[in-house]
Amino acid sequence: MAAPPEPGEPEERKSLKLLGFLDVENTPCARHSILYGSLGSVVAGFGHFLFTSEIRRSCDVGVGGFILVTLGCWFHCRYNYAKQRIQERIAREEIKKKILYEGTHLDPERKHNGSSSN
Amino acid sequence: MAHAAQVGLQDATSPIMEELITFHDHALMIIFLICFLVLYALFLTLTTKLTNTNISDAQEMETVWTILPAIILVLIALPSLRILYMTDEVNDPSLTIKSIGHQWYWTYEYTDYGGLIFNSYMLPPLFLEPGDLRLLDVDNRVVLPIETPIRMMITSQDVLHSWAVPTLGLKTDAIPGRLNQTTFTATRPGVYYGQCSEICGANHSFMPIVLELIPLKIFEMGPVFTL
Repeated sequence: MAAPPEPGEPEERKSLKLLGFLDVENTPCARHSILYGSLGSVVAGFGHFLFTSEIRRSCDVGVGGFILVTLGCWFHCRYNYAKQRIQERIAREEIKKKILYEGTHLDPERKHNGSSSN
Repeated sequence: MAHAAQVGLQDATSPIMEELITFHDHALMIIFLICFLVLYALFLTLTTKLTNTNISDAQEMETVWTILPAIILVLIALPSLRILYMTDEVNDPSLTIKSIGHQWYWTYEYTDYGGLIFNSYMLPPLFLEPGDLRLLDVDNRVVLPIETPIRMMITSQDVLHSWAVPTLGLKTDAIPGRLNQTTFTATRPGVYYGQCSEICGANHSFMPIVLELIPLKIFEMGPVFTL
């Protein structure tokens, strides 16, 4: 059981572990990928069944659809998440530099304005 | 530190640990999908009405189940190798600490700017204050600055030990007669715990590691620079 959160701290979401180990609530992009994968699975499987009326083959298509859509959403979401983290880190560094050097010759804004006027 | 019955990784306190957690999530998603596929195949096997026992070959399926695992392994190996080489980078450390394993305590040496050397023993249960952690707290913590690249040189004076701090993503063997090096940069202040991770005798479970990470300004006022 997790320690209770301090006042002001965001509460950790209750974990839901698929197959006992994949924590979809606390892993970034997992919930989003699984939900889209499920939707893709239903669309692909049901669509195949509507056209062919084959139950077993439609189930196979559904499972294949789930795996492919989940993987696709996962990589797409993780790529964007990684880009966002890098941008956040750059922004944090820039804010820190701005606070430290504002008004001095090392002020990033002064350097930037200086180079754009040249 | 880990909370009771914790199975997952601790929150990251260094950029390397953040990368390790990302990789762990990536590998776990692939594992989950493989397990899902295997469970489905098992379900089909148990519910099939097909009973032909004379099937002799299935070239296409055998090609698929050779190529696909190879692709999956490449998808896992590439990020893994990237992080492996990242952990070997040495980013001009500002401070070097020596950590020497003994049976059953650690000795730490801050010899860059002076001669601070001390032992770190686990606090026996009788000596615990209210709020102290049983089997984790020590008499002398390793105090280090945050946002500063730090080099740890790890060795042992007797048998094999291992200096591990999970939240920093660190685990380095302490081998007698050998100096191992690890570097890290902590991103947030706090008190972080680890335990000896190589069997070293009767009290192997009772020689923890405690790091107290503080802002650099406060670290500079401490005994490392003033002794």
